[in-house]
Amino acid sequence: MNYKTKEKVNLTVGYIGMIIVVMAWIYPVFFLIVNANKTASEYSKGDKTEIIFGTAFIDNAIKAWNKGIGDGVLNSLIYGFCGSSLAVIFAFLAAFGIVRLKMKNGLLWFLLIYSGTVFPFQMYLLPLFEAYVAIGIYNTKFGLILMYVSICIPFATFVLRGFFLTVPWELQELAKIEGASNLQILYKIMMPLAKAPLLLVFLIQFTWIWNDLLFGMVLSRSTSVRPVTSALVGMQNLYAQMDGPTILMATVMASIPTLVIFLLLQRHFIRGLTLGSMGTGKG
Amino acid sequence: MNFNKDTNQAYLYIAPAVILVSLICIYPIIRTFIMSFTDNDGLNPANFIGFDNYIKLFLDPNYIIPIKNTIIWTVLATVFPVAIGFLFAYSIQFLPRSNFFQILIYIPATVSAAAAGVLFGFILDKSGLFNQVLALIGFEHLNRDWLFRAPENTYSMIGAYTWQATGINMMIFLVGLQGLPKEPMEAAKIDGAKGFTLIFKIVIPMIMPYFVIASLLALINSFRIFDSVWVMTMGGPGRYSETLAVTMYREGFIIFDLGYAAAVAVLISLVGLVFSYYYLKSVLTKEDVS
Repeated sequence: MNYKTKEKVNLTVGYIGMIIVVMAWIYPVFFLIVNANKTASEYSKGDKTEIIFGTAFIDNAIKAWNKGIGDGVLNSLIYGFCGSSLAVIFAFLAAFGIVRLKMKNGLLWFLLIYSGTVFPFQMYLLPLFEAYVAIGIYNTKFGLILMYVSICIPFATFVLRGFFLTVPWELQELAKIEGASNLQILYKIMMPLAKAPLLLVFLIQFTWIWNDLLFGMVLSRSTSVRPVTSALVGMQNLYAQMDGPTILMATVMASIPTLVIFLLLQRHFIRGLTLGSMGTGKG
Repeated sequence: MNFNKDTNQAYLYIAPAVILVSLICIYPIIRTFIMSFTDNDGLNPANFIGFDNYIKLFLDPNYIIPIKNTIIWTVLATVFPVAIGFLFAYSIQFLPRSNFFQILIYIPATVSAAAAGVLFGFILDKSGLFNQVLALIGFEHLNRDWLFRAPENTYSMIGAYTWQATGINMMIFLVGLQGLPKEPMEAAKIDGAKGFTLIFKIVIPMIMPYFVIASLLALINSFRIFDSVWVMTMGGPGRYSETLAVTMYREGFIIFDLGYAAAVAVLISLVGLVFSYYYLKSVLTKEDVS
C-alpha cells in the first residue's frame, strides 16, 4: 500500500510539473494568438503578456490578407497542391516501373532518382537561378511548380518503392493472365492498395512545399508569384515596426494549413519524417 | 518475351521522374561543382581559376565568423533539440493522456522556420516579450537587443530554433521508447536503479540507435541552417551572425560572386554528405531489421 501511494504521489507531482513545463513551452504560440488580436498601439505601448479580448481580430486579418499574405497563401496552395500531387504521380509511375516491371538495373535507376535529395539545397540554387533567367521562367508560377515537383520526386519515390516491395506478386500475375495491361494493373489494383502511402506522401510533401523559404526567395520576386513564406518575411521587413499585430496575424494565417495537416496525421507523420527528413520529407 | 516487353515499358514509367530529377536536381549539382572552380560573376565570361575560391574561403579573415557560427550552430542546435526531445519523450511516456502532451509539445514543429523566425523576431525585440518577462521576474539588468548584438544573437536564434526542432526528436524517441522490452527496466528498478542512473545505464543504451538517427538528422539540418538565421537577423549586424548557408546566399545572390558562392555550397555539401552517409546507413539498417 505504501509503495502504491508513493507511486501515486510521484505521478501527480510529475503530472503537475509536466503541465507547467508544457504551458511554458507553448507560451510563444499563446503570445502569438493573443497579440495578433491587438491594435498596433495596444501592442507597441502595452504589456506583451496582457490579454486583451480586442476587436482588432477582423481588422488585422483583413489588413494582413491585403498586405501580401493573401497572395502568398493562394500561391502556396497552388504550389502545394500541384507540386505535391504531380510529384506523387510521377513517383508512383517510377516506383511501379522500377519494382513491379522488374526493371533491369532497377536499383541503379532508383539511386539516380534518389540522389536528387541527398545533397544540400545550396547546390541547386545558383544554376537553377541562372537557367530560369535564361529560359524566361524566373519569377513565374510555372517555374516554381516545375522546381517543387522535381524536388519532391526523390522522397516520394523512396516511400512508394517501399510500398511496392510489399505488395504480393500473385495479384499482379493473376491480372496479367486475365489480360490486364500494366497501366490497368497500376490503376485498378495498385492504386486502391496504395491509398494510405499516397496520401501520406502527398501531405508530407505539401507541408514541405508550404514551409519552403529558400527556393521561393531565389526563384521568385513579385507578390503575385512568391510563396507564403517569402510573403511573410517580406511583410515583416516592411511593416513589423509600425504594425506588429498585423504581422503576427499574418504569421498565424501562414501556419494554419501545416498545423491542420499535423493534427490530421499525427503519429503517421513520424515514419515518413524520419525516413525522408534529409530531403523534402522534413516537416 | 513478355518479360522483355515489360522492362522496355518500364522506361516509359520512370521517364518523367528521371527527366525532371536530372534537369532540376542533378544538372545543378554538377554545374555548381564546376562553377566553384571559376570566377563566374554572372556577367563576364567565366575563367577557370582552379582552387582559388577554396583557398580564399580558408584564408579570408571575413569567413572565420561564418565558419565559427556554423560550428556553434551545428553543436548546440544538435545537442539541445535532441536532449530536450529525449527528456520530453521520456517524461511524458509515464503520464496518462500522454497523447495530449505530445500534440502540444509538437505544435511548434509544425510551424515553418520562416513563421517561427518572424514570431521570435517579435519576442526577442528590444521592447519584446522576452525582455518584459525578464523585467517582470527581476532581471531587468539583463535586458538587451537580443538579435542585434553578437554573440547573443546567435545563441538567441539557436534557442528559437531549438523550440521548433525539438518536436521531431521527441517523436523519434517516443517511437524508440515504445519498442523497448519492459523486463530489463523492471529488473533494474527492483535492483534499486532510479532517476538518472536508470536513464543513463539502462534506457539510453537500449535506444542508442534512435539517438544516432536523431543526432545525425539534427547535424544535417543544423549544419546547413539558413531560414531561421535569414529571417531573424539576415546574418547581421554586419556579418556577425552569418552561417555558411547565409554566406552562400549573400555571395551568390547579393554580391554575385557566383564562383565563390559555389565553393561555399560545395563545402557545405561535403560535410553534409558525410552526415548523410551515416544517417542513411543507420536509417536503412533499422528499416531492414523492422
